[in-house]
Amino acid sequence: MVDDETQSLAESLILHTEEIRKAISEKEAAVSMKNETEESRIFPVYRIKDIVFLAVMAACMLVTGAVMPLVGQIPIFGIIQLALALQFSLFPVIGMMKVRKPGALLFTAFCCGALLIFMNTVMFVCMLICAVIAEGAALLIFRSYRKDGACLLAGTVFFPMTLPFLYLYYRFFYSWSGSEGKAVSAFLGSSPSAAIGMSIAVTALCFFGSLIGVLISRELKKSGVIKK
Amino acid sequence: MNFFRFNRKLYPTAALFAGVFIIIFGLAEAKNLTLCSAFLGFSLIWLMIFGCSAAAMRIFPFYLAVALIFFGIFYAATGSFEAGHAMANRFAAVFLAVVPGMATEPVRMTRALSQMRAPRSATLGILIAMSFMPLLKTEIKRVREAMKTRNAGSVLNPPVFYRAFLVPFAMRLVSVSDTLALSVETRGFTIGKEPYTIYKKENFVFSDFLFLFGLTASAAVTAVL
Repeated sequence: MVDDETQSLAESLILHTEEIRKAISEKEAAVSMKNETEESRIFPVYRIKDIVFLAVMAACMLVTGAVMPLVGQIPIFGIIQLALALQFSLFPVIGMMKVRKPGALLFTAFCCGALLIFMNTVMFVCMLICAVIAEGAALLIFRSYRKDGACLLAGTVFFPMTLPFLYLYYRFFYSWSGSEGKAVSAFLGSSPSAAIGMSIAVTALCFFGSLIGVLISRELKKSGVIKK
Repeated sequence: MNFFRFNRKLYPTAALFAGVFIIIFGLAEAKNLTLCSAFLGFSLIWLMIFGCSAAAMRIFPFYLAVALIFFGIFYAATGSFEAGHAMANRFAAVFLAVVPGMATEPVRMTRALSQMRAPRSATLGILIAMSFMPLLKTEIKRVREAMKTRNAGSVLNPPVFYRAFLVPFAMRLVSVSDTLALSVETRGFTIGKEPYTIYKKENFVFSDFLFLFGLTASAAVTAVL
């Protein structure tokens, strides 16, 4: 009699546990399906985690790019880019490698540029435009940021793209005659060969910075800090 | 809310506008030596009256050092006092433009942007980027101390810099940002379209209007003269 009761109790307990397990697995399946559909979208939804990380990367860019307002006033073609190429390719690439969603570079550029408005307004506009172009190029070629090459390309292209826009800016603010005009021509601003040399140097530095960014992200992946 | 009152702190969007205005106008007018200097001097006094005196005082020594260096370079390159003066004007515009931004607390900027119904992701991004900088200094210091403890070598050595500084620093950034994200989420911050309440509202008051009016009027006088 007692054995029958115990057995029925045990059976009902097992049944209840199975029901709970089934409910949990159904819930998990629904969550994973939701995540999969979100990830398979062309423009996946950003989570707070992504936004915070990209904003942190933007803060890093800002801190290391504090020299911008100083070098920005020196009329040497590409001096801003040369001074900031490494930082402005390294940190966005780390951001893109972790988040891997279209718009990551644009968001980083926006967060960084929103504070750069106070220091170099022109650079803010330049950065936004160039982020859109760089992201467009990377997505056009690689379709998504799943491959490291896409992050490398976007990181390399992003900052050198600001050169033509900054060139127009210099032409506007520094194209006058007189003693100051002489001072400007004493620098490299008017020489096309110097401009080409600077552009190559900036692109090479950006490539180097992006490469380091990719390597660091791979190390972080290996150590488990960034999910695979 | 009474519009006719004097707020000691500038309305964040007004500060943003002032920064952009000063840098653009200052750079464009830098060649009108005396007038531009007068405009920038007036802007400095105006900013100090409207609650930016601490930020202005903090930035002034840096401006003085940088302006003197570049004045010297330009004077040496051209032999003309005007070229150096124009350069000093440009730097004054750049440094002055930073003052309203420095005087505005990140949380006030976030509140103002939220009131304007700016996207939540943008306000959160700006808030973190603005307030993360002091934390970043601490993190850099920690990594460098760890390097010293391990006797890793000089930061100027590229392989050491990469292995002992950059990688641990990036690792710290990831873990700090994860903690920060968790903290943001537990405070109920979402990036969806959920309704939210702003408890302390930022209001555009008469003092802000007066500040902007004074700034634009002085620019207009400079441009006309």
